[in-house]
Amino acid sequence: NSSSQLSSLPLQILFYVNGIYYIFYFLATLAMIIYKSQVFSYPDDFLAPDLAVLFLMAMLEVPRLYLGVKGNLTEGEAALGLSLGLTVGSVVLALYLLLWQTYVLWADVVLNALLLSAYGLESGLKVTAIAAFVS
Amino acid sequence: PADIGDAAQARARSPPAPITDVARLCVCDLLVAQCDINCCCDPDCSAEDFSLFTTCSVPVVTGDSHLCSQKAAVYSLDVEANPPERIFKLIDQVNPSVFCIHATNYEQALYLKSPEMPTPENFDQLLNQFGSATFSAEPDSWDLDTDAQSPPDANETYRYEYGVPVQTEDAFLRLPSPVVSSWCSDANPAGFLVNQATKCIRSVSVERCDSIQALSMLFYINSSILASVFQVNITVQSIVVQSLNGMRNLLNDSDVPRLPMVVDELCINAVLGVNYHITYTDTGEIIEAAAAFVLGAISKEALSIEQSFEISFTQEDTKPVPLSGNPGYVVGLPVRAGFRPQGYPFPAGFLFAALALSSNKHSQLTLLQSTSTQDCLAAQGARAPVLFGYNMISGCKLRITAAMKCQPLAQTLLDVLKGQSFPEYVASFGNSQAQDVLDWVPITHLHISEQRISNTLQSSCQIPVALGIEVKWTKYGSLVNPQARIVNVTATITTTTLKQLPSGRERIIPVTSSVVFTDISSPAEPGFKAWPTINIKLPFDFFYPFV
Repeated sequence: NSSSQLSSLPLQILFYVNGIYYIFYFLATLAMIIYKSQVFSYPDDFLAPDLAVLFLMAMLEVPRLYLGVKGNLTEGEAALGLSLGLTVGSVVLALYLLLWQTYVLWADVVLNALLLSAYGLESGLKVTAIAAFVS
Repeated sequence: PADIGDAAQARARSPPAPITDVARLCVCDLLVAQCDINCCCDPDCSAEDFSLFTTCSVPVVTGDSHLCSQKAAVYSLDVEANPPERIFKLIDQVNPSVFCIHATNYEQALYLKSPEMPTPENFDQLLNQFGSATFSAEPDSWDLDTDAQSPPDANETYRYEYGVPVQTEDAFLRLPSPVVSSWCSDANPAGFLVNQATKCIRSVSVERCDSIQALSMLFYINSSILASVFQVNITVQSIVVQSLNGMRNLLNDSDVPRLPMVVDELCINAVLGVNYHITYTDTGEIIEAAAAFVLGAISKEALSIEQSFEISFTQEDTKPVPLSGNPGYVVGLPVRAGFRPQGYPFPAGFLFAALALSSNKHSQLTLLQSTSTQDCLAAQGARAPVLFGYNMISGCKLRITAAMKCQPLAQTLLDVLKGQSFPEYVASFGNSQAQDVLDWVPITHLHISEQRISNTLQSSCQIPVALGIEVKWTKYGSLVNPQARIVNVTATITTTTLKQLPSGRERIIPVTSSVVFTDISSPAEPGFKAWPTINIKLPFDFFYPFV
């Protein structure tokens, strides 16, 4: 029966968990940026790029998850491939927030590491799913 | 050689690099090349010095405590050992909080910024940024045009405030006054609404009197005052010519300016006095300026003349009324008084004639002025104004002969005591306006007769011999700046009987008038604001459907 259904269940579970986790991640990172701007010296020139990256990542996440879910359920490799491409962008942005933010708190490190590991796992599962769909 | 010199100069100009190594940082090391007491991190201290310390004033040197892990230098004294020695440990301090800073990409986050050293290139920019009383840490990129001052709008009317020098097209309106010595200095500007009168001495010489600028009328009227859209020219209001013996004549035509000339060893038309009258509106704009001149002649022997200058400001459409205080009376200024003009009904709103309140001395509250002759009947007319806060007493002697009739004598004495026009109302504040009815206090008249009990009451003549004015005033207003306010004025006439004299005999009786100011102010009470009331209103259908 796994041969008749090519959609990947672990990938679907991961998408679901990723969505919930991302909401928490976004709110936590935003709250921490606000906290940093109050406690530390955070000039506007440095605050603006950090906030821009965070909001850009949020805007990327929605189509990424949607396309991924749709591609996985309809077994369409195009949507899944597009989702993989958007994942690469999200990974870059998450790396920025992990390494090149103005202030990287320990909580930032933990959250971003979790997110990056989720992205990595997702990417691996997507590749296998695409391979399964194509073949 | 040139570049080495430049490089050395550049090095000398840049500040020393900040120390960030905690092992080398020591805040208690204040004395150079000497050991600071109880400073365990001082590199100038030797082991023997450490053995004398009792405690370490700086036990630990760390960086920013927000960092997750940082190096810390810990200094402590081991008192167990003999001799006591200092222990220095370099440890890693860990911040257990989840929100500790793991890394920063912003250098100034954890260290104070080194200030820029001024060089000839960046001096102007540094002066712009830091030269004023306040400056912000952010670069002021949002107010770019602080350098370009907005030019004064040509249509904006030029308003003056109290004390601001009155500006003319070249400089300020000059009111020459004595500075330090009595010699005239032309650099004294006239302040707006500041009425001034100055006298100063100017050195002259008759031969060159037509070339001395300060003696010519044009010097005082050639500049025009900057006011509102147009400029106000100073017009010549009147010219009075004073002759050598002091007699003054008012000239009929004052249009032609008269310039100083040398005639027969005299210098005529030299300015001896200028009186400026400036008219302004209630918004502070000057609309008119006039100058009244006193021209005189200078004789050949005179080396200096005294010039007097005055400036007064009048609001347009008003008659100048000298105030005696604003608002409370000022000690030493005359008490303002006035009349109710005839024909106005009482009590329905009455106005005082403005004439009664002008600087006409005869309608002020006045007192008999003692003269040298001390004769009451000869001294009619000499009166002194009642000044607020000054108790005064004056008097004269009345010589009564047998031939004098009682009634005319009583009337004459009443005139002597009260004056020609004794006012009916006194202003309670120094700046009371004529229109404000409630600000005026009526004068209460009392009559006391000096009777001896044995005398019969009737058919004897009563003549007034004393007038006592008692002015009761109170402190009004705030505790730190109390204003004097007149509350009550009572004029008491004391009369005595005039016994008929046998013919040929004379009698001299003293007649006195006095004014006394009494302070009846009650002690100050603190005034508190009313408690704020909570005003809660429920909507009218709050208890629907029960109501």
